[in-house]
Amino acid sequence: MVPAQYYLVLSAAMFCIGLFGILTRRNALLFLMSVELMLTAANINFVAFSLQHGNLTGQVFSLFTIALAAAEVAVGIGIILVLYRSFRDVDVTQATTMRW
Amino acid sequence: MAAFDYAPAIALLPFASFVIALFGGRFLPKKGALAGILATAGSLVLSIWMALTVAGGTTYNQELYTFVAAEEIDLHLGVLIDPLAALMLIIVSLVALLVHVFSLGYMNDEGEPGLARYYAGLGLFTASMLGFVIADNLFMAFMFFEMVGLCSWLLIGHWYRDDAPPSAAKKAFLVTRFGDYFFLVGVVGILATFSTANFAGGESFPTLAEEALAGGTDAVSTFGFAPETWFTILGLLVLGGVIGKSAQFPLHTWLPDAMEGPTPVSALIHAATMVAAGVYLVARMYGFYALLPTVLAIIAFIGGFTALFAATMAVVKREIKQVLAYSTISQYGYMMLGLGAGGYVAATFHLLTHAFFKALLFLGAGSVIIAMHHNEDMWDMGGLKDRMPVTYYTFLAGALALAGIFPFAGFWSKDEVLYEALVHGLNDPLLLGAYAMGLLAVLFTGFYTFRMVLLTFHGEPRSDTARNPHSVGWSVKLPLVVLGTLAVVTGFINMVPVAEVTGAEIEFLHKWLEHGISGVNSEHYGELLHDVAGYEAAELTPLLPAVVSLALALAGAGLAYTLYSGSDPDAHTDRLGNAKTVLMSNYYQDEYQVWLADATARVARAADTFDQGIIDGTVNGVSSVSLFSGSRIKRVQTGIVTNYAALLSLGLVALLVVFGLLGGWF
Repeated sequence: MVPAQYYLVLSAAMFCIGLFGILTRRNALLFLMSVELMLTAANINFVAFSLQHGNLTGQVFSLFTIALAAAEVAVGIGIILVLYRSFRDVDVTQATTMRW
Repeated sequence: MAAFDYAPAIALLPFASFVIALFGGRFLPKKGALAGILATAGSLVLSIWMALTVAGGTTYNQELYTFVAAEEIDLHLGVLIDPLAALMLIIVSLVALLVHVFSLGYMNDEGEPGLARYYAGLGLFTASMLGFVIADNLFMAFMFFEMVGLCSWLLIGHWYRDDAPPSAAKKAFLVTRFGDYFFLVGVVGILATFSTANFAGGESFPTLAEEALAGGTDAVSTFGFAPETWFTILGLLVLGGVIGKSAQFPLHTWLPDAMEGPTPVSALIHAATMVAAGVYLVARMYGFYALLPTVLAIIAFIGGFTALFAATMAVVKREIKQVLAYSTISQYGYMMLGLGAGGYVAATFHLLTHAFFKALLFLGAGSVIIAMHHNEDMWDMGGLKDRMPVTYYTFLAGALALAGIFPFAGFWSKDEVLYEALVHGLNDPLLLGAYAMGLLAVLFTGFYTFRMVLLTFHGEPRSDTARNPHSVGWSVKLPLVVLGTLAVVTGFINMVPVAEVTGAEIEFLHKWLEHGISGVNSEHYGELLHDVAGYEAAELTPLLPAVVSLALALAGAGLAYTLYSGSDPDAHTDRLGNAKTVLMSNYYQDEYQVWLADATARVARAADTFDQGIIDGTVNGVSSVSLFSGSRIKRVQTGIVTNYAALLSLGLVALLVVFGLLGGWF
C-alpha cells in the first residue's frame, strides 16, 4: 500500500500549482481553474487521512466538498459573465472600479 | 369631607378656561372671556366653600398623585387647605374674576388683537397661582412657581409686535429665573436633607427641622454642618426665589418694566398672583423660617430697605403705572418686613388688604388709560375727577388705603406690620433699623400716592384728551366698585389697636390663622419665634406707633397737596437737583445689573472657549486622526484580486511562521 505521505506530497504540490496560478494569471477563467485545483488538493488530503485512520468520514466529507465545488463553479462562471459584460474582457486586473 | 373633594377643581377650572380659550377662543363671541369669567367665578365659589369648611374646624392635607416614589424621597402633587390657603384662594380667585371682567372693557371693547391668546394666558396664570396656593409640598410649589413665571412672560409680552413689551417680558422672566435658580437648589437641598418637602403634618420638613434643632432626630442629614447653619443656608436659598418673584431688592428691576403688559395683567401680577407668590411662600413655610433668626433678620432688613428704596423712586415718576409699580415693590417690602419681624398675621393681613387696594388702583389706572386713549403720562391728565366720578372715588379709596390713612384697609394692615417690627425691634437693633426705614417709607408713600391722585384727577385738564376723555363701560366700573368697597372695609376684620383699647375680641384674622393644622398656625409660629428664634416682644401700646405713622402719612399727603393742588401745578422735581436724575434712573440699578450681566458674559465666553477649544478639540482631534489614517490605509485596497490573493498567502505564511516559532516547531 502506498503510504499516506505520498498523497500529502501530491496534495501539497497541487495546492502550490493552484496558488501559483492565482498569483500569476490575469484571466478569470484560469483563476477559476486554479481555485478548483486547490480544492481538489484539499480533497486528496481528506481521502488520504481517511485511508490513514481507517474510517470513512474523510471520504464522505470530500463528497460534500465536490458537490459544493460544483455550486461554486456555477457562481464563479456567473461572476465571470457579469465581468465580461461590464468590461468587455475577462482580465481580473481591469475590474478595479469597486475599491474605495 | 365632601367639600375638599372639589379642591383640585379650584385650579382645574381656570385651566379648562385656558384650554377653551386657546383652542376655541377665536370662535367664541367674547374670545374666551366668558369661559374665563365662568371658570374664575366657579373657583371663587369653591374657594368660599373651602373657607367655610375650614371655618367649621376641618382642614385638608392629602396627597393626590405620586409621580416619583423612590425609597427615600417621593415627589407628589397634593392639596393642603388650611386657613392661610383658604384665605389666599379667595384673594386670588376674586381678583382674577374681577380682572377677567375688567378685561372685557379694557381689551375687547378697545379692539385689541390676539384676544384668545390673552384670555388663554390669563386662565393659565390664574390656574398656576391657584395650584401654587393649594400645593402641599415645596416641590409642587416650585413647579407652579415656575409656571407663574412662564405666564407672566406670555402676558407681559402680549403686544409682541412693539419693541418694549417683548424685552420687558424677557427681563421679567430672566430676573425672576435668576432668583429661581437659588430656589431650585434650595428645594433639592430640602429634599436631600429631610427626604420630604411637605409643608404640614408630622413628617413635614418644618417639623423635622424643629426636632433636629432640639437635638431629637437622626433622620435629618445636614451634610456635616451644624443644623442651624445648614438650615440657614437652605432658608436663604429658597429666599432667593422669593426675592425674585416678590420683586425685592436687588431683583426688583423687572417689575417696573413689566408695566409694558396690558393693565389688567399688571393688576393680576401685582395684586394676587406672581408677586404675591413670593410672600405667600414665606408665609406657607413660616414654620421653617421661624426657626432661623438670621434669615428672619435678613428678610426683615431686605423688606424694610425695599419699602423705602422703592418709595423714593415712585416720587418722581411721570407715568401713572410706574408710580403704582414702585408702590407695589414698596408694599411687598412691608410684607417681608412683617414676616421677618415675626408678624406672620400682620404680613398676611397686609397681603390681603394690598391685594384688594392694589388691584383697585391698577384697574382704576386702567380705566384712566382707556379714558386717555392709552396715554399714561400724568402731566397730560388732570381734571378727570368730574368727568369720571366712579373711577375717581374708587381710585381715591384705593389711594387712601395705599397711603395708610385711617380708617381704610391699608392703615390697619400697614400699622400692624410696623407695630410688629417695632415691638420686636426694641430688643434687636437690626429689626429696629428695618422698622425705621419702613416708617420713613410711610411718608414717601403718602406723598407719591397723593401726587398721583392730584395730578391725575384734580386741577385743570392739561391736554385735549383729558378735556374729552373716552367713556368707560360697566365692565370697567363694576370691578372698581367691588374692589373700592373692599378697600374700605377689609381693614375692619383685624383692628388690633381698637381691640387693644376697647378690649373687644375683634381681631378676626388673628383668630382665623390661629387654628388649623397643628404646627402650621400662628400660635405655633409665635411659640417658635419666642423659643427658638429668641424674639422678645416689648410691652407697647399699639396706639402710639399707629398715630406716628398716620401722622407721617398725612404729612406726606399734605406735602403733596401743597405742591400739586393748584389748577396747573409745576413739576417741582427739578428742585431735587442731582437727586432727581438718580431717582429717574432708578438708582442705576438697571445699568448695574447690565454691567453685572456683561461681566458674567465674559466668564461665559471664557467657558465657551474652553468648551470649544479643549473639550471639543479633544473629540475633534481623535476623529481627525482616525480620518487621516483611514484615508491613508485604504490605499491597500487596490481592487486587483491578485494582490488580495498574494496578501492572503503572505498572511497565512506569516501566521504559520509565528505559530511555528511560538509552538516550537523549529
